[in-house]
Amino acid sequence: MELTYIKAINNALRQAMRLDGDVVLLGEDIAALGGAFLATEGLLEEFGPERVIDTPISESLINGAAVGLAVAGMRPVAEMQFADFIACGFDELVNMASTLRYRHGGGAKCPMVVRCPSGSGVRGGLFHSQNPEAWFARVPGLKVVAPATAFDAKGLLIAAIQDDDPVIYFEHKFLYRRIKEEVPEDSYIVPIGKAALRRAGGDICFITYGSALYLCLAAAEELEKEGVSSEVLDLRTLLPLDRRAIIECAKKTGKVLIVHEDRVTGGLGGEVSAIIMENAFEYLDAPVMRVGAKDTPNAFAGPMEEYILPNKDKVLAAARKLAEY
Amino acid sequence: MPKLNIVSAINLALDREMGKNDKVVIIGEDVGREGGVFRVTDGLQEKYGPERVIDTPLSEGGITGTALGLAVGGMLPVAEIQFEGFMYLALDQIANQMARYRSRSRGQYPINLVLRLPWGGGIRAPEHHSDSPEAVLVNTPGITVVQPSNPYDAKGLMTAALRYGDPIIYCEPKRIYRAIKAEVPDEDYEVPIGKAAVAREGTDLTIVAWGAMMREAMKAAEELSADGASAEVIDLRTISPMDSDTIIDSVKKTGRLLVTHEAPRTGGIGAEIAVRVYGEAFTSLLAPIERVTGYDAVMPLFKLEDYYLPNAKKIIAGARKILRY
Repeated sequence: MELTYIKAINNALRQAMRLDGDVVLLGEDIAALGGAFLATEGLLEEFGPERVIDTPISESLINGAAVGLAVAGMRPVAEMQFADFIACGFDELVNMASTLRYRHGGGAKCPMVVRCPSGSGVRGGLFHSQNPEAWFARVPGLKVVAPATAFDAKGLLIAAIQDDDPVIYFEHKFLYRRIKEEVPEDSYIVPIGKAALRRAGGDICFITYGSALYLCLAAAEELEKEGVSSEVLDLRTLLPLDRRAIIECAKKTGKVLIVHEDRVTGGLGGEVSAIIMENAFEYLDAPVMRVGAKDTPNAFAGPMEEYILPNKDKVLAAARKLAEY
Repeated sequence: MPKLNIVSAINLALDREMGKNDKVVIIGEDVGREGGVFRVTDGLQEKYGPERVIDTPLSEGGITGTALGLAVGGMLPVAEIQFEGFMYLALDQIANQMARYRSRSRGQYPINLVLRLPWGGGIRAPEHHSDSPEAVLVNTPGITVVQPSNPYDAKGLMTAALRYGDPIIYCEPKRIYRAIKAEVPDEDYEVPIGKAAVAREGTDLTIVAWGAMMREAMKAAEELSADGASAEVIDLRTISPMDSDTIIDSVKKTGRLLVTHEAPRTGGIGAEIAVRVYGEAFTSLLAPIERVTGYDAVMPLFKLEDYYLPNAKKIIAGARKILRY
């Protein structure tokens, strides 16, 4: 069936809930309203208010309740209305959920998912545009995923729900209704920890995730016309990173451009670069380069947002520089 | 000149500035009557009264939010969060509010405040009291992050922070709070924010460290000199914005870089430092950049703490590896 990215999320939740009675959803306006973006539309009708729970506006409560539910044997899926507000429920995830297994010597587990609508490009302004994945992709005990396609959105969400560890699931708002593709009707998983090669090539390699994948694919098309053959690796999972795939494409092409929508400084590009340079030092024909948002908060005004965020032209400019290095 | 440890040096800086500027107020848990959990604010309430040295309830979000409000109202608050692990409870106030006030108000509300955070492991504390979450802050533009490694810098950086004009997160390496005594001038001086210091000159290898890891880095450099290897040691001092120029200049001279930090390797700022150096000193590098860090695991309880934390021995092993490369 053809589904948009957001319908694929909805479908994944529905199927996971049908398969496992322990899966419950909680979040602000997710039940009667079906969620701010309608990701949980229709689920209250099918599963009732005991499994699809509207909460007060309190991210720390939502995440804390999810930890409690998970410890007690349920598989909660919490929704942050916007990823930006995860800062209000950060302690529960980074001090509690992530450390539970370790603190109990393996005697406890915390199977929970936090869904985070993230990303810019939708005129969300300062407080509704963030990409806070780097805050989490450094926390031992967590897993972090960021699907770029409708197929992965479904498969990674089901995998996250079935995983016995806490998973932070970043869903990109810009992609919600802009992508439509064939998605299998049945339940399936996309394995956590595996990147996907979206395009094979020999001269340079883009490493990316989330909505930036499409900037890279568009840039790769252009470069092809200029006689530069590029490879595009979609990380999909940000923690743990698929080191083997990253190192392989660096060794193959010798030139890597990392593209993400998060800010350059402190973004995930740093870790990916470090992995490459530690493991493929002698294969590199150029330093690993990065394209990301400018080191500033996002803006509301269209031209400002355009100035701050990466776009196809910025990616192309960096890719040409890398190709010529 | 009096010989002071880091605790007394910070105390002295606060005392001097409170004497000069009655806008300076201190708030935090037990900072008043008790003088702070580590006694950094000892004696200040007696001297300046309970209206300027204010004991708060146990609420890091409340402390940080109050500090922000005071700063917007024209005061100069110095807020204490007892341990860095509790910073997460104030992350919304830090990253979504404090960091953006200048940008959101188009410069109409430049706020000056200092958030003091006892930082890092090594004091046999339980979980949540031993983290090094620099990476969370480095990914957040709008806040400046400093961390002294000795009593002289502790006083000078605090004095500079109190006159900086933007929010400062002042990380205090609690492991060496009382471990070093050094001469600290009583008179007014500032250690510039945004500048790293070359703590030891060398020609074969650059070691970058900050906070408590500086002591280990200097020990390692001493031992390496017995091997005939001359190590340059850079004390980062300001973590964000990072003085990468000083590091890059040094690496252009030595050709080798080792970065050490207590935080887990993955997603730590060792990666951010490495990627900048690769970008600017790619052709000078004689070996891959080495990261000597904590493990990608939850900071353990005290029995395993010495095993977990990087130390001079591990730095030496890392240094030998890249010296032999």
